[in-house]
Amino acid sequence: MSDMMPRRPTAIAAWAVIVFLQVPVLVVVLAAFSTTSYLTIPPQGWTLAWFGKVLSDPAWLSAIRMSLFLAAGSTVVALVLGVAAAYAIAHRMLPGSEMLTALVMAPLVMPSVVIGVAMLQYFSLIGLRGSLVGLLCAHVVITVPYIVRSALASLGGLDASLEEAARVLGATGLEAFRLVTLPLIRPGLVAGALFAFITSLDNVPVTIFLISARQTTLPVLIFSSVEMGVDPSVAAISTLLIVVTGLVLLVAERRTGFHRFI
Amino acid sequence: MRPARHGMALAAPLALFLAAFFVMPVLLTLPTSFREYVPGMGITAGSWTLGNYREILADSYYREVMWRTLGLGAAVTLACVLLGYPLAFMIARGPARWRMPMMMLVIFPMMLNLVVRSFGWIALLANRGLVNNLLMDLGLIAAPLKLMFNLTGLMIGLTHIYLPFMVLMLVAAIQNIPRDVEVAAMTLGSSRLHVFTAITLPLTAPGMLAGSILVFVLTISALVTPRMLGGPTFKVMATLIYDEYMQTLDWPTGSALAFVLSGLAIAIIWASSRLTRRWAGTA
Repeated sequence: MSDMMPRRPTAIAAWAVIVFLQVPVLVVVLAAFSTTSYLTIPPQGWTLAWFGKVLSDPAWLSAIRMSLFLAAGSTVVALVLGVAAAYAIAHRMLPGSEMLTALVMAPLVMPSVVIGVAMLQYFSLIGLRGSLVGLLCAHVVITVPYIVRSALASLGGLDASLEEAARVLGATGLEAFRLVTLPLIRPGLVAGALFAFITSLDNVPVTIFLISARQTTLPVLIFSSVEMGVDPSVAAISTLLIVVTGLVLLVAERRTGFHRFI
Repeated sequence: MRPARHGMALAAPLALFLAAFFVMPVLLTLPTSFREYVPGMGITAGSWTLGNYREILADSYYREVMWRTLGLGAAVTLACVLLGYPLAFMIARGPARWRMPMMMLVIFPMMLNLVVRSFGWIALLANRGLVNNLLMDLGLIAAPLKLMFNLTGLMIGLTHIYLPFMVLMLVAAIQNIPRDVEVAAMTLGSSRLHVFTAITLPLTAPGMLAGSILVFVLTISALVTPRMLGGPTFKVMATLIYDEYMQTLDWPTGSALAFVLSGLAIAIIWASSRLTRRWAGTA
């Protein structure tokens, strides 16, 4: 007999929800290629002009550079700090490791806007307001939970006797980690790093309180441009982000089976 | 052996970093919420007050914004469960060849920039947006419907943004149900509907609760989407905090609101983890 397989109504509902999830994405892409500044369906004509406009505008280019720098920088710092701490937690090398785990995960529980205002006040106090260092530190705080979580998950599934075997055979602690443990936890770390990178690239609610007037990030610039009024060049830059996100996701899925780590 | 000091050396950099850049900022914001704000003069020195918290709880405008935020959280959570369940069921139980593409189509919008997705909804929901144009061209409505700068717009936008989280939680919950329990009930003559309500639904309840808590907390904390789809006038708690800090510069009221919002989020997560533990204990 058939067990609980979905039937036609469930399938139709499921595909309808899938369509609902893609609609705003499709709309943005269509708007980026259409000649009119207001989007109509079907579009009145096709053009690549908005892409040219965006990619020759120094304000957009500098925001793109800033976003990539922040995302890469904070991911690297979070990886170094996070993997070391996760290693100590996973190997029960320190007392009170539950407290440390709770501390690391706390930025996920706190509303982002609260982290944003708290850092705004703190950085005003210690003179880091509007500085790149402050912004980088803020992004490390919001990306490090993803790194620690994926590192803990990967280390937890590891047979501890492998590293011990390497030690018995004469490897130093660092060698054993680099040659045995690291290659084994790499897929999980890559997924975690990717998630951290995207989280940083995506962030507005913390960043918007900390940027200076001169230097802004891509999502914050899109955000403030939309507040000024909708313009197809916003759609063009958004489309570039959509394409990059889609490609990264596809590559990550092929390389690491990304969806297993979310 | 592995002495504790090696563990300390490995964990200390992150612990110190978080103490300096997360714990300190939050703790130092706390006193601000007990300061008095005088319009035009800023924060007055030396005096401590509970007035900011009293104002938030007593003032009808702040109360309206708080109830709106909580109501929005509940409505978005319900919408996510109703829309997410059939999709999660299809992914977990449907034909295997659809599983991967459907999963990718759920994760893809989730990975996509929040600002970009909200921008897409503006293009759809604005007065001269696609939805209104389409409905007017079809002659279904004479004047544009108001779909933005109100609860409708926020509900649509936030449901779209947090639905993938719910779907992923539900997929995991449905996949964890032992299939033979359902098969046994069917063999014993239960109808599909009865198997679903008596077995599938109760067994996925913990996953549904976890997903609901996540969606609720994310919704009441959201800043970007409410700001973009709600505009400067239709406010929720997060956008109100933003305005207190960036526009009126009333940091004391802003920080009091921030701690009320954090308190709500933490209380809900704490209560739900106790509830889940109790369920696990009796199961």
